[in-house]
Amino acid sequence: MAEPGIRASGYEIKEHVVQADWKTVLNTADTVSEYGATVDARNGELEAFLEFRSPAPEDPGEGPLAGLPVAVKDNIAVRDFRLTCGSKLLEQFESPYDATAVAQLKEAGARIVGKTSLDEFGMGSATDTSTLSATRNPWDLSRTAGGSSGGSAAAVASGMVPVALGSDTGGSVRQPASFCGVYGLKPTYGAVSRFGLVAYASSLDTIGVVADTPQRLESVFSVIAGSDEKDQTSVDIRSMQVRETPGLKALTVGVLAPDTADDPAVQQAVRDVETYLQSQGANTERVNLPVLEYAAAVYYTIATAEAGANLARFDGVRYGERPLYAENPDELVRLSRSTGLGDEVKLRILLGTYVLRSGFHDQYYGRAQRLRARISRDMQDLFTRVDVLVSPVFPTLAFPLGSDGLTPYQRKQADRYTTVANLAGVPALALPTGVYDGLPGGVQLTGPKGGDFGLIRLAKVLAGVFPPPTPPNYPRVWS
Amino acid sequence: MYASRIGLEIHIQLLTESKIFCGCRAAFGDEPNTNVCPVCMGYPGVLPSLNGEAMRMAYQVALALNCTPTPHTRFARKNYFYPDLPKNYQISQFGAPIGTDGYLDIEFHGKTRRVRISECHLEEDAGKMVHAGDMSLLDYNRAGTPLLEIVTEPDLEIAEEAEVLLMQLRRMVRYLGVCDGNMEEGSMRCDANVSVAPEGAPLGNKVEIKNLNSSRFVRKALAYETDRQTDILERGGTVTVETRLWNENRDQSEPMRTKELAHDYRYFPEPDLPVVEADEAFLATLKASQVELPQARMARLRQAYDLGDRVVELLCDEKETADFFEAVIQEGADASTVATWLTSDVRKLLNRHSVSLADSPLSPARLARLLSLLQASRIHGKIAKQTLEAVFELDRDPEEIIQEKGWEQIVDPAALADLAAAVVADNPDAVSAVRAGNARPLGFLVGEAMKRSAGRAEPRALQQALKTALSVEPLYVLDFGGAIGGERRPDGMVQAGALRDLTDMLASEPDLPDSIRFEAIPLGGFLSEEITPGDWAQLVAAIRERMEESSSGVVVSHGTDTLAYTAALLGWCFPNPPVPVVLTAAVQPEQAPAVMRSAVQAAIELPPAVHVALTDGVYPAVNLRFERVDTASARFRTWNEEYHRPDQWPGFSLPDVPAEELAERFDAAMQQVHIARIYPGMRSESLVRLMDAGFTAFVLELYDTGTANLGHSPFGLRAAFEEARRRGVRIYCTSQQEGVVDFQSYVTGHALWREGAVPMGSLTTESAYTRLIAAMVCGDDIDEAFAGMEHRGSTTDG
Ligand SMILES: [Zn+2]
Repeated sequence: MAEPGIRASGYEIKEHVVQADWKTVLNTADTVSEYGATVDARNGELEAFLEFRSPAPEDPGEGPLAGLPVAVKDNIAVRDFRLTCGSKLLEQFESPYDATAVAQLKEAGARIVGKTSLDEFGMGSATDTSTLSATRNPWDLSRTAGGSSGGSAAAVASGMVPVALGSDTGGSVRQPASFCGVYGLKPTYGAVSRFGLVAYASSLDTIGVVADTPQRLESVFSVIAGSDEKDQTSVDIRSMQVRETPGLKALTVGVLAPDTADDPAVQQAVRDVETYLQSQGANTERVNLPVLEYAAAVYYTIATAEAGANLARFDGVRYGERPLYAENPDELVRLSRSTGLGDEVKLRILLGTYVLRSGFHDQYYGRAQRLRARISRDMQDLFTRVDVLVSPVFPTLAFPLGSDGLTPYQRKQADRYTTVANLAGVPALALPTGVYDGLPGGVQLTGPKGGDFGLIRLAKVLAGVFPPPTPPNYPRVWS
Repeated sequence: MYASRIGLEIHIQLLTESKIFCGCRAAFGDEPNTNVCPVCMGYPGVLPSLNGEAMRMAYQVALALNCTPTPHTRFARKNYFYPDLPKNYQISQFGAPIGTDGYLDIEFHGKTRRVRISECHLEEDAGKMVHAGDMSLLDYNRAGTPLLEIVTEPDLEIAEEAEVLLMQLRRMVRYLGVCDGNMEEGSMRCDANVSVAPEGAPLGNKVEIKNLNSSRFVRKALAYETDRQTDILERGGTVTVETRLWNENRDQSEPMRTKELAHDYRYFPEPDLPVVEADEAFLATLKASQVELPQARMARLRQAYDLGDRVVELLCDEKETADFFEAVIQEGADASTVATWLTSDVRKLLNRHSVSLADSPLSPARLARLLSLLQASRIHGKIAKQTLEAVFELDRDPEEIIQEKGWEQIVDPAALADLAAAVVADNPDAVSAVRAGNARPLGFLVGEAMKRSAGRAEPRALQQALKTALSVEPLYVLDFGGAIGGERRPDGMVQAGALRDLTDMLASEPDLPDSIRFEAIPLGGFLSEEITPGDWAQLVAAIRERMEESSSGVVVSHGTDTLAYTAALLGWCFPNPPVPVVLTAAVQPEQAPAVMRSAVQAAIELPPAVHVALTDGVYPAVNLRFERVDTASARFRTWNEEYHRPDQWPGFSLPDVPAEELAERFDAAMQQVHIARIYPGMRSESLVRLMDAGFTAFVLELYDTGTANLGHSPFGLRAAFEEARRRGVRIYCTSQQEGVVDFQSYVTGHALWREGAVPMGSLTTESAYTRLIAAMVCGDDIDEAFAGMEHRGSTTDG
């Protein structure tokens, strides 16, 4: 007897698995094969995964994340998986080790099922600078899933995994999460070990979490948060002195007045959250952040300076793609880089070299560092007055892929809302508030250093009023 | 006149267990690419994790170099592409190094110079690239090894000082146990910057010299560079600011290709590492655990055990030796005896067996036991040396060895007296000869008694027992030629070779004690102006032998012309003789009886040392000057008497080699040394020709307190000095006048010092020359000889 099923993007899903628990998906040969087939079908359209490996069926065993399938952005090391960073230069590179966060996930019982697509080395905001794939938005295949963790956001939003690791250097977890209608956390700098995250801009990089619900986000973040001796810049936020986020009635909320040039839906989302919080008795105040004007410029100066050094190791000498023959070591390095690296990456390396070069160092890099200190101070001051800041994530909703989209310059300018949290090292969380003309929209919550769990708690409260939306073509199979 | 300024950048590899930023073993000589991991290979996604041990060692060195420790130190990235640099940036320090503003005091040619240390910073080492045919091979075992870079201010003036600084630094880091200081293996590396400018002018253009892989290269390369820059300036040129590479095969430096120079390192703070705090508690722990540094230890040993500088330096060169030395003393041994054994016989055996003190079978307890056996006269010197060798070969206790081998001596006075009495009874002829005034048969009697004891009688005690039995005191008179032992011919000329029997001459002296018996030993019938290397070797060997046998003293008769030389030579060769050694001379044969009498008197009365006894008094052996006052009389006096301090120039210990080898050594030494005196019109070229002829060292008599024409004309000595430095030829400077040569007073003197001239202070040319001969005879190689020659007992005279 043919079982009734739901049509999901050309693939028949059997009724009995619908709404089953994510933790059971990898239990038996049957469930694993269902799962694999679902991912194959959905990923064929979305290109969210660069590498997917349906794991062998296995009893979930113990652990807070037992049996949970997890995807990992392809700039985070997972032993025996490739670690391409979306770059041709590393197309065949397999990681010999696990990132600390990945090791912690495995330890907690999670199963790594694949590596998700990204902008090359995390440099982009549309997951379209990679030469290996271009991820599409599950809400509208002609639009971007955001970036650079676009693959992770699309994989979660399309129900291929409940949760994925991403990386956030200037908004790369929050913006794609928002574009795809899922939750995205950029933790306090150092809250999650960076060991195993391929560095783009070391002083700004964080490993973040993209999840289908704030509860899931919390359970995964709880596992990976903590200090690590392999990352001496890591901190244990549980031991930090952070003011408790009070209940809604006693909450003081700063609301960043949206720019009138922002998409109306973006402005609407902020107002929706503001109105709700007021209705619950929270104190809201409109705030201005003058430093916002400089954020993108400061961010790109510091990020490219660090990137220039961080990416210098990709020279084809010890690993990675390289020419079959070179006259001498110098030529080997030159050829490897010129053919292996994409244009956006080269642009940022050149920029980084420029801002650090002798004679201009202080004018660019030095000045950016001073402004960064100012931004940190302003944010610190802000959080003495408010418990949380509500702001847009990005000036637009998911924009069309290709030439219909924003110019590279507009994209960079548009990072101003997200980059502030990276520059100041504070946590920020993107959450969905609804669907606006067929595309998801949402807001960003920003908190003081170490206030990550406070932001998650508030997100859980807001999830009751603004439930996470599901893209119509990718109904949830497991929950 | 030009002045040079030299600054050094020294990299020392810290001896940590693991690398600076990962857990890989920091070891050398392993299979290529075996001590590597994703971190030190610069794999994607890895992070550095700073090694606390490296930090501790780095701060230890900074403190030892008197630096101010930086309370918040941080790292920076130094960006440059090179295949052996895995990340294509080096984690180093910039702006907040481990320590700043320190200094190291170095000692060179009797001067102490304070060299400022501008900073010490920690960084990671790169791997190694080797080119093999058309391939380039990379070994990353060394990548990530902690390196401490020590940067000095340009406070050095000449190449030799740089070499001294490196040696002192090497000794210091070895004491601290943070680096093995091996330049050949690259665990200590040196780059230098050199700038030459006219005296008094601001610093000239700076040239960097790289690739100085041994302290010898450092000396050669820096000397080459100061000469090169001086040449350019003297010809009116300008020194190009550049980096040059020392080419050890060609003995010259070459400019580096400009491509390799175009570095903009684009430093910026290392975001992967936090700022490291060196708080008071941390620094206090370090200071508390700081070992005693070499200079402090040398000063303490010198004072606590009353040792000479050369010995102290030998003892303290390695911490291990100094520790061993003090451990033996802890066992109750006498400090100066331990020092002598450690710096001579033990050192030789260690070399012969190629082991370190720690790995050798000799423990402090074993050496102490050996010395106590010697002190208790249970064995004598020769047996002690034999026993020491046996300890090295058998790895057994000295006591066990001498018992097993039957090497223990007869020391019991009663037993020896019996032995002596028996020999005296059985040899009436010899006995009566001795009693009649001839010391010669005494040796025969000693030999007889020794034979009867099967070689086990303690020689000194046996001699004493025989002398007691015979009631005689033997005294040896060595006839070393000269008028004193010669004859005046009927025509009035003095002729050597017709040896008079000095025994007869002295036997009739009423003032001498009755117990004195003489043995006259003719060493050759020649006048003192005819002395050859072989004669000196024979004299030194004879004195060495008689000192062992004799109990009262050795008298040497000598001519006047070269007495100042021979006396100084003996002074250098026998700094601590067991009995007095007295030289004497007479201008005329007629004076012989009188001077001989005073010499014998001196040998009986004076403390054990080398003396010169003349009709007008007794003089110390070193720094005598012979002057003819008028046609009839000549006199001796001590040169620079007011300034000459005998303890400033310690002597040497003769090698334990047979007389024939001693003769070879004298011959070889005297072939290499030349005495030259500067004079108006002297040409540099003449000295260079002598170098061409094979002379490796000169004693050069300058004017006054050490001045000379240092110009660049054929009559200036610069060319000769440059050539000398290039060839490693040493020039030791004395004065024609009674001046103390210290190169302090005049600019030209200082310039000479800068050119490598070694000042001999208050020494006469004769004393400097014989010191050099003695240093060469007693040193095992030319380096040791020069080191001995230049070693000063005290640096306080500046
Ligand atoms: Zn390693």
